Amino acid sequence: MIRNSAPDGVSDEALLSGMAVGDDRAGVAFVRRFQRRVFGLALGIVGDPGLAEDVAQEALIRVWRHSQVFDARRGSVTSWVLTITRNLAIDALRVRRSVPVDPDDLVWMDLTSSEHQPEEEVLHSDAVGRVQTALRDLPLEQRRAVVLATMYGRTAIEIAELESIPVGTAKGRIRLGLAKLRSMVSAEEAQ
Amino acid sequence: MRVPRPPLPGCAAVHDDLTELALGILTGRERSEVLAHVEGCEPCAAELEELAATADLVLQLAPEAEPPVGFELRLIQRLHAGGTARRRIGPPRAVRSAVAALLALVVGFGTAWLAHAPTSSPSASSSAGLTSAALTSKGRSLGEVYLSAGKPAWLFMAIDSGADSELVRCEVTLADGKVVTVGWFHLSGGYGAWGAPLPGVSGQVRTARVLTERGTVLASARLVA
Repeated sequence: MIRNSAPDGVSDEALLSGMAVGDDRAGVAFVRRFQRRVFGLALGIVGDPGLAEDVAQEALIRVWRHSQVFDARRGSVTSWVLTITRNLAIDALRVRRSVPVDPDDLVWMDLTSSEHQPEEEVLHSDAVGRVQTALRDLPLEQRRAVVLATMYGRTAIEIAELESIPVGTAKGRIRLGLAKLRSMVSAEEAQ
Repeated sequence: MRVPRPPLPGCAAVHDDLTELALGILTGRERSEVLAHVEGCEPCAAELEELAATADLVLQLAPEAEPPVGFELRLIQRLHAGGTARRRIGPPRAVRSAVAALLALVVGFGTAWLAHAPTSSPSASSSAGLTSAALTSKGRSLGEVYLSAGKPAWLFMAIDSGADSELVRCEVTLADGKVVTVGWFHLSGGYGAWGAPLPGVSGQVRTARVLTERGTVLASARLVA
């Protein structure tokens, strides 16, 4: 599990605990720590800064209000916060848009392109850097399916429509893509 | 390393759907069936956990982006206004507490000053290098302005004018009568929260005003006790 290594030495979990008992300073510190990541994810999904702000604010409000129910055994704080953000962004996107996401316009396709950019990897934790490398090594169609499902919450049926492929093929790409990521990350972890 | 256990009957049937469940994209009856199976199947539950952890890592690849100015202040006000509702008049104590925490982090001051901060009085309250005052129009409180005397000094304000969405500017009047435009920000449905540094002039600020593009004064505040 990834633990926060904030320069101020206060862990994400400690800030959440402070928020759970009504410490506003902990809450504000938490917001300041996560707002760039939350807003960045929301903006990447919805593409509109105004809507992204609404999504990011709602996500952080939910985290603040439900800080007492966070269970560290089920994942990292970062994963929890980003998953809430992603779900809200997807909901907002579904309400606002009837036009599906253009697969050629995916923000994260650039980020995960096959052209390695080693300087980027130092920005991430080891595990995230490994998954970024692994994602780049996936065949394009599997990478696209994984990004559509993971970032945009697209179902296999929706991906099949977007890519003009049978549903079974879409399911296969998602399954194979994520399975490869998992094994590539695990293999590097074991080394 | 986890020792794999032999799969249970039914594992093959749900195996292909575990990935979609881990990604949160499985819906309806399929989702119910897979969840019911995973509940009683340790190997599938473990696999689901690993797949979900991998998906979480993918999510963390999202690039960061700087939120718009005033993001934190608006968030805290929404938080204490019930999530979506917007406050109309002076902030409740809880908002003042959270805003104080925000300001303390931003400008490095304590929070005690806000415990006694006015909610509707047009006169300024000052403590520990921070001055606050109500932004008013025709005697009605539309928000608050906060002025820190730190280095750099900062001016923050939150306003709910009840007007349409528009671009507005903030100007301050200095002790020598000079009027300085500090910055511009957007009101959305009459609401806006904004802040900006005030290099070199904080000790001289006497009033702050919010004006429309045409120069109509929406609200003003006296920052002298």
